[in-house]
Amino acid sequence: MAIEFKKSLAVFTEFVSVEEAEGLLEWLLKNPKGKINLADCTHIHASSLQVLMAFKPTIVHEPKDADLAIWLKAALAS
Amino acid sequence: MNSLLEQFLSEARDFLQGIGEKLMQLESDPTSHELMVELFRFVHTLKGNSGLFDFPEMTRVLHASEDLMDAVRNGRVNYSQKLADQLLDAMDFVGMLMDEIEATEKISNKHAAPAAELTKALRNLLTASEAGSESSEIDDILNEITQTQVAENSIDWESLPTLNLPEDIAEQLHAHSLRGDSVFWVEYTPEADSFFKGEDPFYLIRQVPDTEWRNVVLNSTVENLAEMDVFNSVASYQVLTHAPAEELEDLFRYIPDEHRRIEIPALAFVKPSGNTDEHAVDEDFIANVFALFDKGETEEVTRTINTMLELSAPDLWSSSALRWVLRLIEREPENKAAQRALLESLRTLQSPDWSELKPVETVTTIATAPPVRNAVVSTSNGSNSVVDEKMQYFNEVINAQREILNLSGFNEGRLKSVGASLICCYKSIGRSQDVDSLELAIKNALAENSPTLLLKWLEHSLENAPELVVAEKIPAPVNNLAMQNDVKFGRRAEDAAGRKADEPNAVTASKTLKVDQEKIDRLMNLIGEMVVAKNALPYLAARAETVFGVRDLSREIKAQYAVINRVAEEMQDTIMQVRMLPVSFIFQRFPRMVRDISRKLGKEVDLVLEGESTEADKNIIEALSDPLIHIVRNSLDHGLEQPDVRIAAGKNGTGKLLIRASQESDRVLIEIIDDGKGINPEVIKHKAYEKGLIDEATLERISDQDAVNLVFAAGFSTADVISDLSGRGVGMDVVRSAVEKVNGTVGIESEVGKGTRLYLSLPLSMAVTNVMIIQSNKQIFGVPMDMVVETVRVPRSQIQSIKQKQTTVLRGRIVPLLPLNDLLASNMPQLPNENDEFATLIVRVHGEHVGILVDDFRETVDIILKPMTGILGGLGGYSGAALLGDGSVLMVLNPRELM
Repeated sequence: MAIEFKKSLAVFTEFVSVEEAEGLLEWLLKNPKGKINLADCTHIHASSLQVLMAFKPTIVHEPKDADLAIWLKAALAS
Repeated sequence: MNSLLEQFLSEARDFLQGIGEKLMQLESDPTSHELMVELFRFVHTLKGNSGLFDFPEMTRVLHASEDLMDAVRNGRVNYSQKLADQLLDAMDFVGMLMDEIEATEKISNKHAAPAAELTKALRNLLTASEAGSESSEIDDILNEITQTQVAENSIDWESLPTLNLPEDIAEQLHAHSLRGDSVFWVEYTPEADSFFKGEDPFYLIRQVPDTEWRNVVLNSTVENLAEMDVFNSVASYQVLTHAPAEELEDLFRYIPDEHRRIEIPALAFVKPSGNTDEHAVDEDFIANVFALFDKGETEEVTRTINTMLELSAPDLWSSSALRWVLRLIEREPENKAAQRALLESLRTLQSPDWSELKPVETVTTIATAPPVRNAVVSTSNGSNSVVDEKMQYFNEVINAQREILNLSGFNEGRLKSVGASLICCYKSIGRSQDVDSLELAIKNALAENSPTLLLKWLEHSLENAPELVVAEKIPAPVNNLAMQNDVKFGRRAEDAAGRKADEPNAVTASKTLKVDQEKIDRLMNLIGEMVVAKNALPYLAARAETVFGVRDLSREIKAQYAVINRVAEEMQDTIMQVRMLPVSFIFQRFPRMVRDISRKLGKEVDLVLEGESTEADKNIIEALSDPLIHIVRNSLDHGLEQPDVRIAAGKNGTGKLLIRASQESDRVLIEIIDDGKGINPEVIKHKAYEKGLIDEATLERISDQDAVNLVFAAGFSTADVISDLSGRGVGMDVVRSAVEKVNGTVGIESEVGKGTRLYLSLPLSMAVTNVMIIQSNKQIFGVPMDMVVETVRVPRSQIQSIKQKQTTVLRGRIVPLLPLNDLLASNMPQLPNENDEFATLIVRVHGEHVGILVDDFRETVDIILKPMTGILGGLGGYSGAALLGDGSVLMVLNPRELM
């Protein structure tokens, strides 16, 4: 799994595919204050991106991937 | 080029031709429902076929055509001349794409735009007709298309997106734009169900190169987070990039409808931003700067502004505006109007409305094409140059239209679009007085079905207005634009011309010739008769010598025979080649089939195809198709195990299925090898016993290999449950009889736990059979040479009787001997030769050697074997009959059935 769900932290690693979106949604519904660690993430499928945009959870670590970081910043700012 | 593509191209051309013909027929009989249905079927099939390949442009146009035809078929849209024109245009386009595919195996992305245009026109036709006001709307569409083409270079400020960029990014993009890199605003709104199509819009948009700014917005706010549908795409993606247009086109070529691309002019980026609460600059300062500005003292202006900037806070709106003024002075020193407008804005704290600067801006943007930037900027002397420029482009458009009119072949739609373009052009330069006569000329030209009248009018109009031709003297940009126009208007002509220039003798006609199979079969029969006739010559030679005693003549006949023999053999070979098909013809369906079946069964299978180019006679290939499918299904169903079972057995979870074709002398060998669980002989034995296929004694002593061979027995099935894949017990014996029908053999080897190897051996061709002639009971018979192992003469003394059967020992092996007369039930003893030896034909039947006692051996001949028909068809012992050179009929035995 590209997302590891901990108690109040979801750790995204590498390529987060379309299959992860549902799990992410459920987790965020259960943990509305859940935080996201994106440090080792390289890409998020659009479906999961939409979930992040809808919930706007706190990002504790931005992705090391510079391009993704810029995109997420734009997506989550608006 | 792969054979599938080749086949597609040859079929597609037929379809295109068919579509053209049907449209023509519809013209004379526009109400024929039958024709429309047929037409729809053609378009539908063609679209489906094109979908097999990666030609999005082609498929898209065909898809739109299909929809339109569907509507026509169902009576939702009335058939009209315009509709036919549009469809023919679309088919021409497809034909052009096919030429390109044939030459390069791909479609260049420059066709994306015309494809989108055609698609749009077809779709519009659909909606326009459905709305009921057919003709006028179509004209509107035609106008719209031509107008967008004519007016492509002017900027529609209204349609530009509102940009709220940070100043540093805006500044960079402004610089890029002025440098001549077009800056594009791309907005991509994927369809809601795009995730289901396996798309990742976010991934795609991230592939846009040279992105300077990006944004993602949700199109609808998610009200209830718990009910959010994660598999519904609800976002829009926006980027600003200075990547080349072709790259963007390429990237988005599959989704032309879901994205919008707009070129942003440089000035659009000049948009000061910041805090507007405080006025840092007062009217005095502004008046001061204007005074300096009007005197043209640029350096002084710059210095004053710099001082001001040092004094005021950088995050103010006015500071931002001042910085932009400085940038404009530096980057576009000639564009005084823009600078002035920006300074003016300091009073209102509102960004200047650049659309008011339109004429100047238009020129600047056109000028992004390298050479002409300098030309027309200042408003004082600008008007003249603008007119010159306008005339120049006017001439370009006119020239392009003239070229189109000169294209060979008349096309109503083309003429109309030319007409619409011309009207627009004349209106745009203010010569509205010409429009009336122009319209008349178009009408007349249409009535005459010839562009000549319109051409004449054009020549006349240009002659009478010499001022219109001025700009022709300016060569450089003219060519540039002419080229663009060619791409858009005259692409077919250009393509055709280009090809002609490249290869003078090339004709677009396809190189393959489609021939009715019947004709080939007739050729085959004729060459067969020729072979028979040829075989008569040796008889003739023999008669000349023995009956008439003319030896020389006999020799000459033989020499002549040699020549005819050579030619006939070559001819026969060539005809066989014509009938040859590569096995890929049947192999190409396997990847899909294996994929589907393995999915269904939850197995993972790696299919490997080898030797796809091996060729064999068409009949053989066709006869092979069903047995092969059967075998592959069996392998998947019974042979390969589930991944977990495989892993538990220490094998790779993914099973391997190898289908290999190879040629072995005059036979094709096809092997189907899997690395599954193999066939357990014990299981087979018991199953066969249960089903009563073997008796108890056989059960005890049958060898493992023989047990495995039992799978070929009729009515045998190991599966306990009948699935829709296999298990009905009609599998392998059907395979065997199908293969044997074309003189093939089938065999199986299996090792428990390791896998199974099934092999089919088939003749390359069934047309000509080499048979050995034997004599028995004063008759002659043929025996296929491929069954004959050897011929021996067995002395009577060496024949032993075991029970009632005769046998002999040949090279240490016991060979059963069967007199042919007995097999044929003619109660005559076989005749030995003078040394009391029996002529014995050793044949191979089901892998065993059997001796057939005959009276004598004769020569071997090539014959055309005709299977027996009618009542004789039921005779099992014969595989057919053939005509011999001396006119007699030769019955060819089938030893397999005989025993």
